[in-house]
Amino acid sequence: MIAIKNLSKFYGDIRALDQLELKIGRGVIFGLLGPNGAGKTTLVSIMNGLLDFDAGEIEILGLELKANPGAIRRRSAFIPQALALYDNLSVIENLRFFAGIQKLSGAVLRANLDYAISVNRLEGMLNQRAGTLSGGQKRRLNIAIGLLNNPELLYFDEPTVGIDPESRNQILETIRACKDDAKTVIYTSHYLPEIEKICDEVAIIDHGRIVLQGRLESLLQEEKTDAVIFTLLNSSRPQLEVIAGRYEDLEVVDGATLLLARQSAVRIGHLLEILEREKIAVKEIRYGTTDLEALFLRLTAAGGADV
Amino acid sequence: MFKALLIKEFRLILRDKQALAALFIMPAIFILIMSMALKDTFNSERSLVDYAVVDLDKTAESAALGSFLKVDKGLHEEKISLTDAAGRQTALRGELDFVVEIPAGFTAELGQGVALGPRRLKLYAAADIKKEMLELFQARLLNGVQQLRLENLRKELTPLLSEAVLTLAADKFKGFELPPEALLKLSFNGRFKGQRPTSTQQSVPSWIVFGMFFVIIPLSTIFIGERRQNTLLRLRAMNVSTPALLLGKIVPYILINQLQMWLMIAVGMYVVPLFGAEALTLGRSISGLFLVSFGLSLTAVGTAMLIAVVFDTVEQATTIGGIINILLGAVGGVMVPTFYMPKVMQSLAGMSPMAWGLDGFLDLFLRGLGPQAVLPEFGKLVFLGLFLLCLAGVIFERKVKSL
Repeated sequence: MIAIKNLSKFYGDIRALDQLELKIGRGVIFGLLGPNGAGKTTLVSIMNGLLDFDAGEIEILGLELKANPGAIRRRSAFIPQALALYDNLSVIENLRFFAGIQKLSGAVLRANLDYAISVNRLEGMLNQRAGTLSGGQKRRLNIAIGLLNNPELLYFDEPTVGIDPESRNQILETIRACKDDAKTVIYTSHYLPEIEKICDEVAIIDHGRIVLQGRLESLLQEEKTDAVIFTLLNSSRPQLEVIAGRYEDLEVVDGATLLLARQSAVRIGHLLEILEREKIAVKEIRYGTTDLEALFLRLTAAGGADV
Repeated sequence: MFKALLIKEFRLILRDKQALAALFIMPAIFILIMSMALKDTFNSERSLVDYAVVDLDKTAESAALGSFLKVDKGLHEEKISLTDAAGRQTALRGELDFVVEIPAGFTAELGQGVALGPRRLKLYAAADIKKEMLELFQARLLNGVQQLRLENLRKELTPLLSEAVLTLAADKFKGFELPPEALLKLSFNGRFKGQRPTSTQQSVPSWIVFGMFFVIIPLSTIFIGERRQNTLLRLRAMNVSTPALLLGKIVPYILINQLQMWLMIAVGMYVVPLFGAEALTLGRSISGLFLVSFGLSLTAVGTAMLIAVVFDTVEQATTIGGIINILLGAVGGVMVPTFYMPKVMQSLAGMSPMAWGLDGFLDLFLRGLGPQAVLPEFGKLVFLGLFLLCLAGVIFERKVKSL
């Protein structure tokens, strides 16, 4: 479905993507994770033909991207994080407009409209102005627009930002429904529990490179550790780096987070003593983290970026 | 695809009440106000000057002097009694432009041909009287005095002349009694037979031009909104190219400009007369109207697109757009006609696209010329419009690439 080789992209002297390699199979929900500035948005923009790249090869849906951007776009859809719709148009006017842009007409238009409306449960609000919808309803309309061309490949960029739990669940159901309809979904999000919940495969990107890729289940199995995550108050990164330098298996995730790789009551007690001596307050301690968050934090710790 | 872009743009504009007010209601109101405010300036049937005569002389000749002024339709005599200086001052501060005082004994001394000195006519003028009006009124009054002197002379000479000389003189002097129309034929440059320039003919083109440039506000507002809400990004991800995006803006706004122009013309033709000003008459060249309005549209849309791609917020775009609009209008002769401006300002006006469009419209509406006369203005406007659109396209493309 997607094969990326040696992909590099520069913004002036800044290397946004560094010989990135990625393979995504057909019919999966693929989670793309990475701290802010890791290169996720650049990668997704390039895959959607919105940005040029400096080196490498990209093949999407069996087609070479540079040679066939139009054909690939017709078979894929990008659902941006920002609500890319018109507040002053009604739900149905928005849908018809974007369908018109994609030159849909006749039976195909009717079928695709019905599909996008029903999967996103928009039936009761078709004549309502988009500007008057709730945050969750707007997100669903945003997704419905992306489904209009019945794409084989969908890019979701943080689709659940700033919405209530009920709407979030509805959106996650929609994404699962896309998979059931044999669509491939590339999903970027900061909500790691969501990724764990719906993704089949994940890749973690950091400093423009894929640092880990695989099926979620096996990655979590391999990563099964006794890690403990300390969330701290009134600490600074240099301060934490001094502590970590004196302490085995302790990693600095960011200026307010420490990750202790192996769990034992003595080690935890010892670390708490050190923190108290340094007058650093502990906000939260999470034990036995075998989840994606621990994996993510460990892999991206060196860069010190936030989640 | 293009149809979808057009429908979307029209829907967004129709739902933007402020935009509709700026595009249609504001210029229509300006046309009404300016046509009515200036109607007397261009109407020779209506009085431009109100005056009163205080006749302290009370002779047949002094009454005749007053009646000389009455012949002029532009001068209107108010029949009010002004017996003292205080009353005269009050009148000049209020309804009157001039008060003429004919002192007692004025006509008698005039008839004797003595130096008048203390018995001179007194002319009191309102403080805000225009220089041209003062000169015209003075000339008219002095003309009346000269006629009075001629009449006195005729009366004195008549008993001294033979019957033959008198008959000859009567024949030769017939011309003096002819009305001005018999001696002078007035025709305005290029107008059709019987047509005169009116305030409506002057106002409508100005406010059409000004109103057309107000597409800057809705176009930039909608475009920046689309950019900020990522709908433009989404459209690009749906294979919509930059030229197609720009064309999706240009065509609707050119159509809106056409609608504006014809609506303003309709206001000039049918609404303005209801308020007492003269109706607009179309020139002889509809094709000329299309040429000028198309050129103006292209420049207005080009300016709007440039503002929309350069500025990042709606507030910046509407503020700068509004300022540019008003400056172009002020310099281009929309607010103050260029013929009132000094030479330096007139040269500056030649740099404003609004002045080019206005000149083109005045060629058609006021001077009654054909499409060939507006080709230079059309060429300049199209060239500038295309240049601005290309510049906007290049800047937009660069901004998109540096996403």
